[in-house]
Amino acid sequence: MAGSALKRLMAEYKQLTLNPPEGIIAGPLDEENFFEWEAYIMGPEGTCFEGGVFPSRLTFPPDYPLSPPKMKFTCDLFHPNIYPDGRVCISILHAPGDDPMGYETSAERWSPVQSVEKILLSVVSMLAEPNDESAANVDAAKTWRDNREKFMEIAHRTVKQSLGL
Amino acid sequence: MPVILLERIPLPSLQTYTSVSVLVLSVALYYAYHTVTTVDINSIHELDFGDGVTVEPVADDEVLNEHHDMVNISLPYDSVGWNMFHILTSEVWCVWILVNSAYCCLILLGKAIQKLVFGELRVSEEQHLRDKFWNFLFYKFIFIFGVMNVQTLEEVVSWVAWFTILGFFTLLTQLSKDRFEYLSFSPIAARGVHVKLLCLLFVILLCSFALLFLSGYVGLQAGPTIFAFLAAECLLLGIRALYVVVRYVIHLWDMTVSSVWENKSMYIYYTELTFELSALAVDFAHHLHMLLWGNIFLSMASLVICMQLRYLFYEFKRRINRHKNYRRVVQNMEARFPMATKEELQIHNDNCAVCWERMDSARKLPCGHFFHNSCLTSWLEQDTSCPTCRTSLSEGQQVDPNSNVPDERGAAPPQPPQQQPQNMFTNHFFHFDGSRYVSWFPSFSVEVTHTQLLPGGRQRPIQTSQLDSMARQVQSVFPHIPTNVILEDLRNTRSVDFTIENILEGRVQVPPPGLTTMAVLTDSEEGSDDSDSPSTPSQPSPRALQLARSGEGEERVGTSEEAGGVSSIMDYNVPFLMETVPQPSDEAHFTTGSRFSKSTTERESMLQSRKEQMLQNARKKYLNRQTNSSKEAASQIDDTRVTSETNAADQVQLRHRNESTFQETQR
Ligand SMILES: [Zn+2]
Ligand SMILES: [Zn+2]
Repeated sequence: MAGSALKRLMAEYKQLTLNPPEGIIAGPLDEENFFEWEAYIMGPEGTCFEGGVFPSRLTFPPDYPLSPPKMKFTCDLFHPNIYPDGRVCISILHAPGDDPMGYETSAERWSPVQSVEKILLSVVSMLAEPNDESAANVDAAKTWRDNREKFMEIAHRTVKQSLGL
Repeated sequence: MPVILLERIPLPSLQTYTSVSVLVLSVALYYAYHTVTTVDINSIHELDFGDGVTVEPVADDEVLNEHHDMVNISLPYDSVGWNMFHILTSEVWCVWILVNSAYCCLILLGKAIQKLVFGELRVSEEQHLRDKFWNFLFYKFIFIFGVMNVQTLEEVVSWVAWFTILGFFTLLTQLSKDRFEYLSFSPIAARGVHVKLLCLLFVILLCSFALLFLSGYVGLQAGPTIFAFLAAECLLLGIRALYVVVRYVIHLWDMTVSSVWENKSMYIYYTELTFELSALAVDFAHHLHMLLWGNIFLSMASLVICMQLRYLFYEFKRRINRHKNYRRVVQNMEARFPMATKEELQIHNDNCAVCWERMDSARKLPCGHFFHNSCLTSWLEQDTSCPTCRTSLSEGQQVDPNSNVPDERGAAPPQPPQQQPQNMFTNHFFHFDGSRYVSWFPSFSVEVTHTQLLPGGRQRPIQTSQLDSMARQVQSVFPHIPTNVILEDLRNTRSVDFTIENILEGRVQVPPPGLTTMAVLTDSEEGSDDSDSPSTPSQPSPRALQLARSGEGEERVGTSEEAGGVSSIMDYNVPFLMETVPQPSDEAHFTTGSRFSKSTTERESMLQSRKEQMLQNARKKYLNRQTNSSKEAASQIDDTRVTSETNAADQVQLRHRNESTFQETQR
């Protein structure tokens, strides 16, 4: 039932508003529909994504928090763990049952004690440290591994783009 | 533009359709009226068609023929109205016009209901509606011509009428269901919307009962088979509508009553089960009846019906399997995980990690974690591990249900990592060791404890003695660093080595007594030149408050507990800021916590402004960095700037405090 999901999302929204983690802003796109959020993530400092502000969309299932939300960046982001269409591929977003990459232990997967905040923090650390072993964007993974300079250059361009400059 | 045109070409707009229908109907009415009056006046013999010819040149021949028939048949009633009706229903083209007018009325009625109850339809609702419509049309077409194999026009018309009414209500039910599901996503839907939707659903429900009676009445004359066909459809409609109503009522009740209703999910589950299974059963029986009765084993229709039967059968089986799984989970849970005692709950004193709500009763897992009965059930239905620590709970590892000691498990998988003692107090624990990834990255741990349940003044549940001894170790290396700073850092790193490393690399700022607050705030304002402009008032932040206190070195911990109403504490606040002190960080104040307004619009606008602020600050910082990297000779300007910023920072500081106190009094 969507009722309990709604309550939980409300609680999470409240917590994220009152006590937001550094460089993360998240909330419902429109409170008419509490199951569609947007999140703004600041590129972690000291990485090639430093200074960028990356918008993303979170879509929650009606049985949240039993199932994980889906997350998608709405800006272009060239990153090994982000599909070219913006979907984020990190283990925390995978339901315990499915394993698209085939080698995640269930300990890293979604569980109802996870939350939007933890997802976003994981995404921040993912931005800081791409995992090129389970690549969602093979191109990006290759560039990251073999041609770090080019990757940095693309990342810097992305940052500039994300700021609208 | 071309898309819109393409969409519009196949169907004329409602207005055109309505006006054409009205025109045609009036022509038919006029014809009927004319016929009745002329027959009346001229009794049997002479007929004058002058008027008829001028108005309806097309129908001329027919009029002539019909009039001869009519004259022979003569009119059965005395009143003009009934006679007109008789004529309209006895002529084929008039019947079609009548049918068309009925459809027009129905469409207009549907439109009116949509305007009144639903307003603008959402895209997905429209899509669903269209799918449902074509689906319905297809299956009923199969039914009428494939199964019933109707021959006469009368039969076709009556079946079509029946299915039109049924389809109308079915579509409305579908629409209501979609709308209900959408509304259940929103906490702010107005009461009127719910009332309207529920009223519509009740009307549908009543109509389905009326249709059921009608089918009974028809069945008396047409036999039990026809009755079964008609009644099955009515039943399905009624079940679906009732299902939506029940879910709706439960949802509304759930949203208004804030307390946790312990057996709620069980009731909901069984209602859903009953409704889904009965709908599937009725549908299945209906289709089976069609197949057997129609004698149509070797036709397209039989193929379609078989497919449908197969689908329904698998749905039924799936549902039963799910139920078996549910029963197994519940039984297993009741046998193996005891309900927590009152004392245990008091000691544990925490919210359920699944729904984040208070636990007045809970089940205890062998690993020492507590959850609501219902939350645990729904999770265990899809996975067999503890949500918090992932300890496997599969049935292989039987535990004595009476044992409350978690360590008695024999063949248990590896113990949950070292969090056992803390789980006494906290449920959600998340440690992010940033320095493991990149050296500059801050380490922090998120510990979601629950303030309103913690007795006031209690320290955070970290083993203080252990921390103290660690702090002493660090202090023996760095005697000049205050204990509270070391403690703060230790609380995050939980390792002597990491803290020492942090201090060595300057990530731990040593506060000159009394100046910390200012220094931090000065730094935090440095990135933006016009930070003191009144257009961007920063929200009062618990973090700033906390910062100020910790800078004074008086209250080391527990201050964040005063950010009351906050249901959870992030204890990385202070250390994070301290660690970022060496770098100018202007996001310090715009991402800090703000008020959580009760009003939706205010919340939305606050979120919007926070977003914009974040973007603006990021832009400024980016541009600053660009200019800084291009010319390094900005140092002398900096000197002058610092003094002015100290003033500005002072003011900001003052404002923060005022607002914080204001906030506290508000609570
Ligand atoms: Zn719960
Ligand atoms: Zn556990």
